Amino acid sequence: MSSPVIVVDRVTKRYSGHTAVRSLSLEVPAGGIFGLLGPNGAGKTTTIRMLLSIITPDEGTVTLFGAQGSGRDLSARIGYLPEERGLYPKMRVLDQLAFLGECKGLSRWDARKRARQWLERLGLGDWTARKVSDLSKGMQQKVQFAGALQHEPELVILDEPFGGLDPVNSQVMRDVVVDVARSGRTVLFSTHIMEHAEKMCDRITIIARGEKVVDGPLAQVKREFGHSSLALTFTRNGAAAKSILADRSLVARVDDSGASAEVELAHGAEPERLLKALVMADVGLSRFEVVEPSLQSIFIAKVGAEAATPAASEVVA
Amino acid sequence: MNKILAVIRREFIERVRTRAFIIGTLIVPLMTFGFAYLPQLLLKRDTRPRSLVLLDGASGSTGDSVESALRRVTLGTGATVRSRYNLVRLRTGAEVDRLRDSLIQRVGVDSLGAPGLDGVLVITDRGVEDGKVSYYGTNVASFSDMRSLERAISPVLRGERLERRGADSDMIAAAAVELDLQTNKVSKGRLTGESGESSFWLAYITSFVMYFSLIMYGIQVMGAVLEEKSNRIVEVLISSITPFQLLMGKVIGVAGAGLLQLAIWGGASFYVTSAIASRNAGGLEQVAVDGTRQSMSLPAVSVDLVVVVLIFFLLGFLLYSALYAAVGAMCSSQQETQQAAQPVTILLALGFIAMFTLINDPSSSMAKILSFIPFFSPLVIPVRYALSPLPMAEVAGAVAATLLGVIVIVWMAGRIYRVGILSYGKKPSFRELWAWVRTT
Repeated sequence: MSSPVIVVDRVTKRYSGHTAVRSLSLEVPAGGIFGLLGPNGAGKTTTIRMLLSIITPDEGTVTLFGAQGSGRDLSARIGYLPEERGLYPKMRVLDQLAFLGECKGLSRWDARKRARQWLERLGLGDWTARKVSDLSKGMQQKVQFAGALQHEPELVILDEPFGGLDPVNSQVMRDVVVDVARSGRTVLFSTHIMEHAEKMCDRITIIARGEKVVDGPLAQVKREFGHSSLALTFTRNGAAAKSILADRSLVARVDDSGASAEVELAHGAEPERLLKALVMADVGLSRFEVVEPSLQSIFIAKVGAEAATPAASEVVA
Repeated sequence: MNKILAVIRREFIERVRTRAFIIGTLIVPLMTFGFAYLPQLLLKRDTRPRSLVLLDGASGSTGDSVESALRRVTLGTGATVRSRYNLVRLRTGAEVDRLRDSLIQRVGVDSLGAPGLDGVLVITDRGVEDGKVSYYGTNVASFSDMRSLERAISPVLRGERLERRGADSDMIAAAAVELDLQTNKVSKGRLTGESGESSFWLAYITSFVMYFSLIMYGIQVMGAVLEEKSNRIVEVLISSITPFQLLMGKVIGVAGAGLLQLAIWGGASFYVTSAIASRNAGGLEQVAVDGTRQSMSLPAVSVDLVVVVLIFFLLGFLLYSALYAAVGAMCSSQQETQQAAQPVTILLALGFIAMFTLINDPSSSMAKILSFIPFFSPLVIPVRYALSPLPMAEVAGAVAATLLGVIVIVWMAGRIYRVGILSYGKKPSFRELWAWVRTT
C-alpha cells in the first residue's frame, strides 16, 4: 500500500463572497497520522467536508483510496467525527451507535454487536440502555468516537477531535487514535492545538486562508525550518539583549518571553555572531541552544498573526 | 437501500416509542368510546321503572288512549324488557287541581320504605285542545325522560283532537304518517346503494382526516428535520447517506408511524361504532336520543373510494412533508419554523376551505380546476369522489398532474434540504432559496 489514501488536487470551494479553500492540493499516504493544521477559519472543516463529499468542490478533484466514487460511496471504509458533535438526545445509547453503524452499511445484528463492544471498551458498558441525554458531555463524546471507529474503517477523519475534552478523556481518545494508526490504518485529524499535532502526527499540512502554507513529514518540516532557531535565556541587562535581538541583519524574528526568547536568525547569519554580541553586552547568558523549532513557532512564523483570522473583505474574483 | 431502511426503522421506532405517540394513539379511541358509548351505557343502566300517576281530567276515551300509549313504552333490552312506567290512572272529573296538589306532596317522598312517586301527569280537555300537558316530577331535568314522555303522548293527543272533530281512525292513521325523505345516490346512471346522507358524511370525515393528518404529520417531519439539524447529527449521517435518502427515510418513517396511528384510530372507531350499531339493531332501545343512530352508523365505503383516498393521501403526504422538511432544513430554531411554515400551512388550509364549497357542488368548474393543482388535489379529489365517483379519466389525469407536481416539489425540497441542513444562521431569502435549488 504505497499509493496515497487521499489525493486532493487543486480544489477550490467558494461561498457567497468568500473563498473558503483555494486551489488546495494534498496527499495523505497510507498509514500513520496526518495533521491538518490551521487557524480558525482557515478552511480545515471545509476541506474535510469535501473529502467526505458532504459538500462538493467548485473546482478540482478528491480521490480516495485511488478509487472511483465519492467519499459517500466509500463511506464504509471511512470513519468520521465532525467538529460539531451531535447525537439524538432521546435515543438509547446502544440504538444510537447501532444506527450509525447501519448507516455505514453494517448489518443490524453486526452493528449492535460492535456497538456493545465499543461501549465496553470505552467504559460505557453500563450505559447502553440509557438515553443519550442522560450521559455527561464527555461520555457523549466517547459515544461519538465509537461511532466513528466501530466499523473499523481504513481511514479515520477527525475534525478537532480533542476540543472540549478534559485531560483524562483527551488522553483516552489520543490513545485510541494512536492504536488505530499502529494497526496500519490512516488517521487524518484537524486541530489548531499544535501540542497535539506535535506529539502525534507523522505528517502535517498547515493551511491558512484556504491555501497550503507548509506540507510534509513533521521531521522534515522541522528540519527545513529549524537550522536557524535558537533558544536563549539571559539573567540580566534585558534592555541590551532586546536591542541586539532587534538587529534585523542578525535576527529575522523573535518570540520574546522576557527572560528567555526563541530566535530565528536572519538568512545567512551565523549563530556565533549573535553569541559574541550577547556576551559583549553582558546579559548573563545561561542558555544558548540551537533547537528544533516547536510546531507552535513554525505555525506562527508561517501563518503569521494577521492570517489567524480570515479577511472578511475578501471577495471572489 | 439497507441504509434507507435503517433510517426508516429508526424514525418509526423512535417515534412510536415516544410518550406523545402512545398517549395520542390511545386518547382518540378513548374519546370516541366516551362520546359514543357512554351515553348508551348510561341509558342501559337506566333500568328503574318510573312511578307515575296519570291524573285524567279529560272526557271521552282520551285517558284510555294516553294510558295504553304509556304502557306500551318499554325499558331495557332482550330478556330484561319491561314496562317503563308503573302507572296508576285516576279519573278526576272536576277535582283535578285539588287531587293534583295532594299528589304533588307525595312526589319524591319515600314512605314506609317504599319509594315515592316520580311524577304526576295531568291531562285536561283544554290541554288536549291546546296541546298542553302538565307534568310535575323529580326528573324534569332529564332530557331523555321528558323526550320519552313527549314522544309517547304527542301522537295520542293529535289523534284525539282529530277524532273530536269527526275524523275516523283511518284518517287519523293517515295524518300520523311523517315525512321520511329517502335519498339514494346515483352515479353514472346507476344506483350505488348509498344514501345521500352517508356520502356527505363520508366526504366530510374524509376531508377532515386528510387535512389534519397532512398538517399533523407534515409538522412532525419538519420537527424531525430541525431536530437533526440543531443536534448537528446530520453531518455524520450525510457523510454516509445521501441527503435525499435521509429525507425520504424520514418522510416514510413518519408516514409509517402516522398510518399506524390512523389505522388504530380508524379500527377502534369502527369497532366502537359498529358494536353500538349492532346493539341498537338487535335491541329495542326506544329511548335513544333522536338522530344518534343515524350519525353512528358507518356509511358504506366502496373499495375504489378507499383506493382513491389512499393514493391521494400518499401523494399529498409526500408533497407536504417534503415542503415541511425543506422548511425545517432552512430554519435554525423552533420559533423560526413557526413563521417559515406559514406559507405551507396556508396552502393546505386553502385546499381545506375549498373543500367546503366543493361539498355543495362537487362538479363545478372550480372543483375541476382545483383537481389538477397538485397542492389541492390531494384534498379535493377524495371529497369529490366520496360525493359522487368521478370518471376514471379525470382521476387518472389528476393522479398524473399531482404525481408530476410531487416529483418537482420533492426534488426542489430535496435540494433546499441538502443545502439547508448544513447552513446555520440567518434564514435564507427566497432569492437564496432559489440559489440553493440551482446549486449542484
